[in-house]
Amino acid sequence: MNYFFQRFLFSILSLFILTLITFLLSHVVPGDPAIVAAGPNAGAEKIELLRIEMGLDKPLSQQFIIYTGKLLQGDLGNSWFTHQPILDDLLRELPPSLELVFIAMTINLLISLPLGLCSARYSDTIFDSSVRLLAMVGAGLPIFWTALILQNTVAAEWQALPIAGRLSFEYRSFDGYTGFYLIDSLLLGRPDIFWDTLRHLFLPAFSLCLLFTAVGLRITRTAMISEFQKDYVLLARTKAASELRIMFKHVFPNGAPASLTVFGMQFGWMLGATVLVEEIYGRPGIGRYAVKAVTQSDIHAVVAVVLVVGVVFLLANLIVDLLLYILNPRGRFKE
Amino acid sequence: MSLLEKFYFFAKSPFEKFALGLVFFIILVAILGDVIAPYDPTQIDFRGKLQPPSMEHLLGQDGAGRDVLSRILSGAKLTIFSTFSVIFVVLVIGCSIGIFSAFAGGWVDNIIMRIADIWLGFPPLILALGFAAALGASLEAAIWALIFSWWPNYARLSRMITMDILSKPFILGAQVLGVPLWRKITFYVLPNAFDVLIIQIALDVSAVMLSISGLSFIGVGAQIPAPEWGSMIADGRAYMSSAWWVVVFPGLAIFVSALSFNIIGDALRRELDPLIRSS
Amino acid sequence: MKLSSILTKALSLLALSLALPGLALADASGTLIIAENETPENLDPANATNSTVNQLLVGVYDTLVQFKAGETAVSPQLATDWMASDDGLKYTFTLRDDVTFHDGTQMTAHDVVFTLKRLQAASAAVLNDMGPFNSAEALDDYTVAMTLDAPFGPFISALSRIYVVSKTQVEPHMAEDNARGWLAVNAAGSGPYEVSTYKPTEVVTLSASKAYWGGWDGDHVAEVVFRYISEPSTQLALLKSGEVHIAPDITVQDKLALMDTEGFKVDIGAAATPLYFQFNTASDGLVGDSEFRRMLSQSFDRKLHLDYVLQGFGSMPDGPLPPNWMGHSKGTELPFDLDAAKAMVDQNGWAGTKLKVRYLPAIEEEQAAVEQLQSNLSQLGIKLEAEGMTWPAQASTVQKLDTTSDINMIYNFPSFPDPHAILNTSFNTQNTGYNGGYNWAQYSNPEVDALLNKAASSADQSNRADLYSSAQKIIGADYPVITVSLPGSVVAMSASVKGYSYSVAHHQTFNYMDISVD
Repeated sequence: MNYFFQRFLFSILSLFILTLITFLLSHVVPGDPAIVAAGPNAGAEKIELLRIEMGLDKPLSQQFIIYTGKLLQGDLGNSWFTHQPILDDLLRELPPSLELVFIAMTINLLISLPLGLCSARYSDTIFDSSVRLLAMVGAGLPIFWTALILQNTVAAEWQALPIAGRLSFEYRSFDGYTGFYLIDSLLLGRPDIFWDTLRHLFLPAFSLCLLFTAVGLRITRTAMISEFQKDYVLLARTKAASELRIMFKHVFPNGAPASLTVFGMQFGWMLGATVLVEEIYGRPGIGRYAVKAVTQSDIHAVVAVVLVVGVVFLLANLIVDLLLYILNPRGRFKE
Repeated sequence: MSLLEKFYFFAKSPFEKFALGLVFFIILVAILGDVIAPYDPTQIDFRGKLQPPSMEHLLGQDGAGRDVLSRILSGAKLTIFSTFSVIFVVLVIGCSIGIFSAFAGGWVDNIIMRIADIWLGFPPLILALGFAAALGASLEAAIWALIFSWWPNYARLSRMITMDILSKPFILGAQVLGVPLWRKITFYVLPNAFDVLIIQIALDVSAVMLSISGLSFIGVGAQIPAPEWGSMIADGRAYMSSAWWVVVFPGLAIFVSALSFNIIGDALRRELDPLIRSS
Repeated sequence: MKLSSILTKALSLLALSLALPGLALADASGTLIIAENETPENLDPANATNSTVNQLLVGVYDTLVQFKAGETAVSPQLATDWMASDDGLKYTFTLRDDVTFHDGTQMTAHDVVFTLKRLQAASAAVLNDMGPFNSAEALDDYTVAMTLDAPFGPFISALSRIYVVSKTQVEPHMAEDNARGWLAVNAAGSGPYEVSTYKPTEVVTLSASKAYWGGWDGDHVAEVVFRYISEPSTQLALLKSGEVHIAPDITVQDKLALMDTEGFKVDIGAAATPLYFQFNTASDGLVGDSEFRRMLSQSFDRKLHLDYVLQGFGSMPDGPLPPNWMGHSKGTELPFDLDAAKAMVDQNGWAGTKLKVRYLPAIEEEQAAVEQLQSNLSQLGIKLEAEGMTWPAQASTVQKLDTTSDINMIYNFPSFPDPHAILNTSFNTQNTGYNGGYNWAQYSNPEVDALLNKAASSADQSNRADLYSSAQKIIGADYPVITVSLPGSVVAMSASVKGYSYSVAHHQTFNYMDISVD
């Protein structure tokens, strides 16, 4: 448990450093949010007035202390442009992105784990080579390019899947408790909406996951190969255990943890990359929100986005660590 | 064995040899792109706006009537140059930190590695947006942003290798003989780290390449009229449905380059990776 | 195509009957779906200078006076009548007595006074165009008096962006932020539509207000849906599949193609939003020299730009003011003449000069214009370096003279159709970049200032026209800008949309309150 405590402590420290860096970075940015807030033809006097109102006249160190002070009380501040608590904005923008990442991760696992396992079992066969080639192809595809091409062919040309948005037009007034349409639709007993949400998620999630799947597949394959070479597999084979039983009962559960760590990290990376598909598929989300915040120099919102993505990354890793701990309580944590 | 021979040796199948050829071809284009480009890559010609591929313009013309083929050829140097700059700087910074951390050991090592762990969670795209805003949007800003978010990979890797080497008996012997630190690093650590690092580099080339084009795509990378491949896709994406060639060809250029480097990386890994080799 | 659009319509009608069972308006039916590339920051009337916000407010709130779509003269809305004092310092408005807000309360003079006081307290951007406005006071329930610090010719026009809020609804939320937080996500207006869903990054829905005081006459839609889609190609795909009715942000190329496609139409509005290259006239470098600027001003081919970048959607500019506006003066800018420019470059040894231009890469036309200028200047041996920026970054670089780049690209979006809104904004010393304005040429000429100030404070329109005309001639001789284009407001829509009309006073918005869909 000591391990977790230490990890947690370092996570907090890192988050603090992250906040500091983002904060500094956004303040050396030449953009002046006060000009934007003042509007056209405002005049120097009004801009100065707003600068004071927004606290931008204070020295940077003081601004940072004020900011972190509020942060410790759980207050992310208000956006200078939406005039809403940034927390509310994020709670609205995070679910669509998390939903996207969740589905992308599911596709990722559904491809990586079985293909990685089989490819390891039949390593150095034609099957293995094709899988590896497939992985390399995936690792060479720019996310945004795949997204554009899939949208224009599968969605626009063949009309097989929706072009853009989160939900079809007829469900536009749908609203739930959590903001996760996949969960809300089930809670409200609307399988039709669940299905519709899923259809809207498929193309963006698929475009997003390919790059990550390539890595996941490679890691899984390597981990499984080394597992297949262990003595217990040999022992099982001599006992004439069925090959399927060996693969799924022994090799898979023993080999999976090694790749789990990578999948945990991928979750955070995917969240940071959603911006590349959200714009194209006209979806709301944290990526688009970040771009808008940067273009407006909405400093507190930018810092908040980085912070939240950082927290999600850390949480995903902690969860993976916990899972590993549960799967294999002894050892593994002593580096 | 020279490096070149070594490379050729690793490319076993004809397929891998082909990929190796492609890599050399891409590097050649990066050097000679401006010379072999049939047209001036920045010369606009509105009268030829969005003309489809033809004998005069093999890959068609873009939204400002520029020759897409010439832009791709001339743009290779931007993509290749920035990718290798990122890798080079990250290699130097990351390895310095990693080796330092391994030699320092104890709580210093612990703190540095924990920070590196967490650093990986910093979303590079969002970070780059901040960098671009701070330094002014440019290819250099994008390069710095990637360096900033990429170093932990190399720090972790080089620390691991160093730790591994430091535990070997011959180092203990050197210790006894009073070999100074810098000699330990240059004579024992670096040569042994080379194999592992080269694999990582080969595999990272495509990842860095994709990241740079991604940054240019969201507008924080190369500036007009520079024919960076990612920004070519960004410029052309509005015409996607009426003029696919403006988007498809630069994307293919990225894809083919990234794939070739990947195949070579994979071949290198198969031949050099101690884990797989021992098996 | 046909089948799918019928299907979409059938579905949307079905959905409408499911979603809004209580709504059974005699004269408002159907749904209008509009794609927008920019997401709104908030719903606050204080922020109505922003077209994405204004777009949502224009049918939800009412103003004292309005510019109806397609008209360039003000007509009454909440005010029936107004008069100015002889010295031009006091205006008295008579209000309608039959207006009710969406919450059912009646609109009175106190609401108007409250609205203006709140805007002042909140340092609202929308007040920037109100010139020397000082204060408002209610003389009785239906009479408002407004006082100015100095006479201001376009005062009545400027009131067309002041959306009147319900005092009863807003006052309880004033607290410390002057109701900015509350009005950012709630509406308190009296217009024909009410905000029914506000998901600002996804979809905003307005629905017809049943008890609209103006009554429902003619054909109108029961519901207006805004979908926020930033990619032009995505907007096009949605327009083609029948999922949106209006797609304003698709490329010029695609608009051209849709003109000849059955089921679609393209409206070309005579917009008045000139695009400029502004030269840093206060620079210590070469652009500070008016001879050099004279050379630059001949180096841009406006005709080529109009024909190929805008594909003919727009009109040839002739000086900074749109040619059909009051007070326009002809021939104040030099025509394109690369040979003449070349001769000047050779004569003065300017070849090898490096210049920098800043622009917004997100805007297709700006990028094309920069590329065009880069290409032309390179023929003259001048290297033009381009730096794409975000709006706040670009705006902050012009706050100081030493960070102002040689050339800046900027549109002028006049808030109301009056020469003041263009000329004063772009050429008065008090609006220079370092004074917080949009005169990014940092152009300062006391003679011009005097003429512009005099014209602003005059109420005699023909006198004002003369003053503006002389000002343009002086400006022209100093070469502070190239007027690149007068782009038309080109909007592609489904053929089923009826009643759309471009509104000069509300650029980049749609008059959805007059639109019907069949």
